[in-house]
Amino acid sequence: MAFPIGYLLDTLVFAGIFGILSLSLNIEFGHTGLPNFGKVAFFMIGAYTSALITLSGKPFIAGITGAMIVSGICGVLISLPAIRLREDYLAITTLAFGEILRLILKNEEWIAGGVLGLKGIPEALSLKGVQATLYGHVVVVYISLAIFFIFLRFLEKSPYGRLLKAIREDELAAQSFGKNTVFYKAQSFAIGSAVAGAAGSLYAQYLSYIGPDLFMPIVTFTVWAMLIIGGIGNYKGAILGSFIYIGFERGARIMKDYLHLPVDPNNLMFIIFGLLLIVVLLFRPEGVLKEEKVKLL
Amino acid sequence: MPEINILQILFNSIVTGSLYILVALGLTMTYTLTKFPNFAHAEFITIGAYIVYAVTEQLGLGIIPGILMAFIVSGFVGVGSFLLVYRPLERRKSTMVQLMVSSIGVGIVIRYLIQQIWGGQDLRFKTLEFSAFNVGPIRMTMLWVIIIVTGILLVVIIHLLLTQTKIGKAMRATAANPGLAQSCGIDIDKITAIVWFIGAALAGVGGFFKAADTKLVPVLGWSVLLPAFAVIVLGGIGSFYGMIAGAYIIGLAENFSIIPLLSLGLSTDYKTAVGFIVIILILIFSPSGLAGIDWGGIFKRKKHRGES
Repeated sequence: MAFPIGYLLDTLVFAGIFGILSLSLNIEFGHTGLPNFGKVAFFMIGAYTSALITLSGKPFIAGITGAMIVSGICGVLISLPAIRLREDYLAITTLAFGEILRLILKNEEWIAGGVLGLKGIPEALSLKGVQATLYGHVVVVYISLAIFFIFLRFLEKSPYGRLLKAIREDELAAQSFGKNTVFYKAQSFAIGSAVAGAAGSLYAQYLSYIGPDLFMPIVTFTVWAMLIIGGIGNYKGAILGSFIYIGFERGARIMKDYLHLPVDPNNLMFIIFGLLLIVVLLFRPEGVLKEEKVKLL
Repeated sequence: MPEINILQILFNSIVTGSLYILVALGLTMTYTLTKFPNFAHAEFITIGAYIVYAVTEQLGLGIIPGILMAFIVSGFVGVGSFLLVYRPLERRKSTMVQLMVSSIGVGIVIRYLIQQIWGGQDLRFKTLEFSAFNVGPIRMTMLWVIIIVTGILLVVIIHLLLTQTKIGKAMRATAANPGLAQSCGIDIDKITAIVWFIGAALAGVGGFFKAADTKLVPVLGWSVLLPAFAVIVLGGIGSFYGMIAGAYIIGLAENFSIIPLLSLGLSTDYKTAVGFIVIILILIFSPSGLAGIDWGGIFKRKKHRGES
């Protein structure tokens, strides 16, 4: 495989998949104000559902649809009891949920291979040659990213999107206008979870292998970092955040191969990334791209 | 199915509970004073274990200086992150979620610093030999005995600190009502900084115990953080005595869960899930923890209502 182009395509695929995850967090937290710290759980549900469906011989489109449905339903089920909680309690509850789910998938071999995970997950587009397959992945991931981006932007501009923002800003005020805020929060959680499920599905078909160790809480945290750096409440910012993070990660790997630094570039990059997150929170808490103002008459 | 030794499980539960006291104390105190769950607490735990490793294994200075160093270094990391990150954010009127995410950033920085210095591989304490011995039907090691003694001593010391000393009373006042405490002449910034120091320092010592009992890895703190959250949530966030009860209850629940798990033919790995399930149930049904349950109502007895 020619090094630079293959590497670039791989980077693009990762940035796209995490971009979708970041978008899904943006509707939940950015727009509705629900801090979901169990993002990785819905990513994992999507990845496993899709892998199990496609491994049974069904096409990818069935896999991604199934992933979105199952993740969305799980999102609703989790949200029903949890959504009334204070934001820190919601965060800890969703974090614990993700860990329970990971433990179950790790220990129950009959569900999806246990510790060993699932291997040989078929690709969405099977093309001849490594290069062509990679291009295929880029196309699939970016078509999905575009669809979700346009859909969520449409939602944002619609009265429904304004309602979600109203709940975020002042739940009591939204209630006093006769809106059942718990119902709308659950919907937002369901949409976010379904989109995260789709990202999981794309992740599974790209890696062709998934195991429980891929879905540690650190995945949730990186998605949070992406959204905070890119810009809370701004879908372009969410995607930009993903590119910044993946850029950092890949930059470190390239430096590892070409430069001989006294420190491990991978560690250095994460340290800088952590500092960047703190600096953004301190000096530009709205992120690189600010949330767009709601257009009024 | 192996024979179940109830006394052994009971003993193990006390070891687990005592360890959780060390780790959870700082978490619940900082949660109350700075009003957010600090995810970087996991790294305060980890750094302590690595400092002991550096002092005893790499420098060969023995275990007591090692633990002292861990106490000091973890404490300074804790108070440093408070002064450099959390307090400036608090002053800028950051939201709770922003503080939580900033603690993720702090955690990432510390964790990769640790990986840079000591590498990511598993480390073991080789010079520390904790001989195992039997007391009646219970098998124990010196380390476990030390953990239990430390836990109990800590409870006594903190109890005396909170009730008998001026600084302890100032801590309670600051936790209960910062504004009022300040107008009484208490330097709440200083008190909060001291609490961050003590909390992180104890977490570091707890981290060493955990690592000596298992192994030393950069994700060590993470394996203890969620159970520690379970402990403080169960006890009611900010409640010192609730936290002690929570620590031993979670310890008992984790260790005794082995019996039903074995009889159902499930993996004993699930014992760590006990804490997570406790978190979810408590937060949903009684968010203020054990302290929030109306015990008087449950037992249908006239309840003596004191100051709560």
